[in-house]
Amino acid sequence: MTNEKQYPRATLQEYGYRDFSKFEKPLTVLKHILFFVIFLMLYLSIIVIAIQSVNSSVRTSEFLSITFDWYPNILQEEDLMTAIRNTFIVSFVATSIATIAGTFFAVGLYSLEKKKRQKIMLLNNVPMLNADIVTGFSLMLMFRLLMPIFPNIFGLFTLVMAHLFFTFPYVVLSVMPKLKETDPNLMDAALDLGIKPYKALIKVVIPAIKAGIFSGMLLALTMSIDDFVISYFNTGAGFDNLSIWIYGVIGRRNLTPSVYAFSTLLTLFTLAGLMGYTFIQHSKKGKKGELK
Amino acid sequence: MGKTFKVLAIPYQIWLYILVFVPLIAMVLIAVSNYDSSVPLNQINISLNHWSILVQRQNMIAFRNSVVFAVLTTLISFVLGYFAAYHIFQSKFKNKFIILTIVILPMWSNLILRVDALNNVFSQNNIISSILGFSPFGNITGKPIAILIGLVFTYLPFMILPVYTALEKIDYALQEAALDLGLTPFKKFWKVIFPLSIKGVVTGSIMVFLPTLAGFAIPKILGKGNFLFIGNVIENKLLSSTIFYNHGSLLAVVILVFILGSILLLTRFDKEGETLL
Amino acid sequence: MALGAFGLASCDTRPVLNILNWGEYINDEVVQNFEEEYGINVKISVADSNELFYSKIKSGTTPFDLVIPSDYMIEKMAEEDMLIELDYAQLPNFNEVTYMDGVEQIFDSMTATTFERNGQTIDYKDFMVPYFWGTFGIIYNNRVDGLEEALNQHGWAAYFDATTHLPNARRGMYDVAQMVYAAALLYRNENPNNFSNALLEQARQDVVGADFMEWGDDMLKRNIESDNLDMAFTYTGDYLDRAYIQIDEGKTLAEVQAEFDIYIPNNTLVFIDAMVIPNTAKNVDRAHLFINYLLDPEVVALNSEVVGYATALEEAYDIIVSYADSTDHYKRNWALANLTYYNKDRQGQFYPMTTLSPADIDAINSMVQQVITG
Repeated sequence: MTNEKQYPRATLQEYGYRDFSKFEKPLTVLKHILFFVIFLMLYLSIIVIAIQSVNSSVRTSEFLSITFDWYPNILQEEDLMTAIRNTFIVSFVATSIATIAGTFFAVGLYSLEKKKRQKIMLLNNVPMLNADIVTGFSLMLMFRLLMPIFPNIFGLFTLVMAHLFFTFPYVVLSVMPKLKETDPNLMDAALDLGIKPYKALIKVVIPAIKAGIFSGMLLALTMSIDDFVISYFNTGAGFDNLSIWIYGVIGRRNLTPSVYAFSTLLTLFTLAGLMGYTFIQHSKKGKKGELK
Repeated sequence: MGKTFKVLAIPYQIWLYILVFVPLIAMVLIAVSNYDSSVPLNQINISLNHWSILVQRQNMIAFRNSVVFAVLTTLISFVLGYFAAYHIFQSKFKNKFIILTIVILPMWSNLILRVDALNNVFSQNNIISSILGFSPFGNITGKPIAILIGLVFTYLPFMILPVYTALEKIDYALQEAALDLGLTPFKKFWKVIFPLSIKGVVTGSIMVFLPTLAGFAIPKILGKGNFLFIGNVIENKLLSSTIFYNHGSLLAVVILVFILGSILLLTRFDKEGETLL
Repeated sequence: MALGAFGLASCDTRPVLNILNWGEYINDEVVQNFEEEYGINVKISVADSNELFYSKIKSGTTPFDLVIPSDYMIEKMAEEDMLIELDYAQLPNFNEVTYMDGVEQIFDSMTATTFERNGQTIDYKDFMVPYFWGTFGIIYNNRVDGLEEALNQHGWAAYFDATTHLPNARRGMYDVAQMVYAAALLYRNENPNNFSNALLEQARQDVVGADFMEWGDDMLKRNIESDNLDMAFTYTGDYLDRAYIQIDEGKTLAEVQAEFDIYIPNNTLVFIDAMVIPNTAKNVDRAHLFINYLLDPEVVALNSEVVGYATALEEAYDIIVSYADSTDHYKRNWALANLTYYNKDRQGQFYPMTTLSPADIDAINSMVQQVITG
C-alpha cells in the first residue's frame, strides 16, 4: 500500500535563502571597474609625468607637440646627471649594506628570547614610522654634536648613515617572517651533517629566505631613492641627491622636462625588469614541468 | 635557530639605541632652549619663552587641520585599500613580489614631481585639458578635495600591502569551513575574514595616518598654501630662510608624542611587526 | 662634458677657481671663454638659498674663492667679518663702467641700514661687485578685461584692495612672510624694512583685504601664464623667465604681453646678487681676475642672454638694447624686454630687503599664518 502523503514542500526562500544570483554579474563587473579606477588613480601622476616628458614645450600647462628630445637631453644636463649619479650612489650603497647587514641582524634577532626581541622590534619601528622631518632634523642635530671631532662629517658619510637608519627596519621586517616560516629542522640537519654554523647559515638559511631578502631590498631601495627631507638635513659638501635638486630647482628656476623623462624611464625600466623576471620564472616552470 | 647567532643582533641593538635615543634627546633639549639661527652655539641656555607658540591660534588650527585630514585620509584609504587588497586576494594571484612591485612603483618617482603632476591636472587649464579640450577633474586645485585625493592615493600602497599580507595568512581551510557551515559569502567575509585581517588594517591605518599627519609637501602644493598643516609650520621653522630650531623642535616633539603613541598601539596588535610588510 | 660628470676626477693640472653660485645663473659660454682665455679651471658649486651660502662658507668644508649671495646676506657676512675687501687695483675694468641707477640706490640703502643698526658706515663697494639685480612687480593676466588699466591707474591698490578693484580677480602672493609684509608696506608707501607693531597690524588688515587665494612661489608665475591666476607679486625675473620661454617657442614679446605682463610699481622691492670673496678663499688673485672679467660689458651682455634678471652695468645694457634691430628673433625680443622692464632711465624708489631681527620675523610669520588660517 503506497501511502503517499503530500507533505508541503518548503522552498528555499522560506528558509530564508535570498537569491542574489542576478546581482552577481553586474556586481562583479562593478568591482572590476572600481578596482581599475583605483589603479588608475594610483598611477595618474606617473601617467601625467610621462605625458609631460614628451611635451615639446617646457610649460606644463599646454601640450604643444610630441617630441622625444628630452630623453637624450638628460645626458646634456650636467646638474641633473650629477644629482642622479649621487642618488644612485647613496641608494645603492645604503641598500646593499642594509640588505646584507639587515639580514644578519634579522637572524640574530630571531635567535633571541621573545621578550628581548619584542623590545628591540619596538625600537625597530621608530625609524619607519617617525615623521621624516623629525628623523632628518634630529639626526642632523646628533651629527652636529660630532662636528668638533670630525669637522668634515657632513657629506656622503652622514647621508649613508641616515639612509641606513631608515632602511634597516624594512629589511629586518621583510626577513623575519620568512625566518619564522623556515623549517627549524633545516638548520639542525645542516649542523648534524658537520657544516660549521656560519657556513650553514649562508648555504642553507639564506636561500630559504631569499624571497624575504628580495622584498626587503626592494623596499629599502624604494624608500631611499625618493627620500628628500632626511637627505636634505644630513647632506653636505654639495652632495645633493635628485630630490634635493628638484626641490631647489622647482622653487626659483625652470625645471627641465628631462627630469620627467628620467622619471618615466625609471618607471618603465623597473616595469620591464619585473616582466622579465616573471617571464623567466614562468619559463623555468614550463621547462621543468611541475617542478619549481 | 642556534644560539650562536644571538651575537648578530648586538650591533643592531647598539645602533638602534644610539640612533633612536641620542637624536631624540638632542631634540628635546633644543625644544627647551633658546637656540635659533641668530644664537651662537656658546650662548644657548634653557628657555621656555617660546612655548607660547603651542597655544597660538594659527598653530592650533594647523594641528587641527593635520588631524582632520589624517583621519579622513585614513578612513578613505581603509575603504579603498581594503577593497583593492581583497580584490587581489580573491583573484588568487599568488606572486607577492609582483604585487609588491606594482603597488610600490609610483613611489620611485619623486614625490614633488608626482604632486606637481596631480596639481597640473587639478587646475582649470592644464596639460590634459589642452589635449582633450576639457579638464577631467574640473578646477579643484586649492580646495580640500584636491588635498584629500592627493593624500589618499599617495599613501594607498601603505594600506594595500599590510592588508594583503594579513589576508594572505588566513588559512584557506577556515574559509572552506565557513562555507561548509552554511555562511553566505558576505557573512563569511564579515565574521571570518575581516576579523582575521584586523592586524593588517591597524598596521595599514597607522602607516597612512602618521605620514599624513606630519606631511607638508602635499597640502602645500595641492592646497595652494591655503591650508596650513602642522607639517608646514614645522617646515617653516626648520627649512625656510628664517630658522627657529627651538620652535621647530618643540612642535616636532608634540608630533612625536602622537607617533610614539601609535607605535605602542601597533605593538599591542602586532607584536612582531608581521603585517608591516 | 656629460661623460665627465660620470667619470672619475680628471687629472686637470690647470689652476683652479672655486665658485659658489645660484643654479643656472651663469652662461656656460662665459665660463668656457674665461677658462680658455686664462687657462683656469672653473669649478662651480650650486646652492639655492642665501642661508645655504652662509652655512657653506662658515663651515669652510670647501674653501670657495668667489661667492654670489644676495644683498641682505652680504650685509650679514660683512658685519661678521667673513669677507675681504676688494683690491680695486686688480679690477681695471671697474673704471670703465657705470652702475645702473637702481644699483646705486641699493648701495645707498644698504649702507643706510647698517649705519642705523650698528652705527658703523660700511661702504659696500669695498666688498662687492654687482652681478645681477632685479625688481619685483605685480605679474598679471592680461586676458582679464580692465586689469591692465586698473593697475596702471591705481598701482598697488588694484592688487591689495579687492573690494574696490576687480573683486573677482584671482590674486596670489609669495609665501615668504617677509615679502608679504614688504608688499603690504609698499602699498601704504612705507619703507618695507621698517618694523613696528602698528605697521604689522596695518599690514595684516591689508593682506586680509586682498583675499589671496594662492600662496606659493614658482607656481604663481606659471599659473598666471596658463590663465589659472590673475595677479601675483613676484620677481620681475620670474616674468621674464616665462616670457623668454615663449619667445623661444616663437612668439614675439608683444604676443606674450597680450597674454600676461608685469606691472612694476614706482616704489618696489629690489634685490641684488653680487660677487664677494670670502676670507677663507685660497685663490684671491684668480677671484679678482674673474670679477674683472665680469666687469667687461660684452661679457656681461653675453651672460644676460640666459638670465632673466637685470644687468648692473649701463654699458652692458646699451649693448643689449642695441639688439632691438637685430634680425635674430630671440635677440630682438630679448632686447625689447630689457628696454621695457629694465630701462635705465626709469625712475623709482627701490628698496632691497634687509635682515630683520628674529623676533620681528617671528611676528611677521605669525601674522601671515594667522591670515591664512583665517
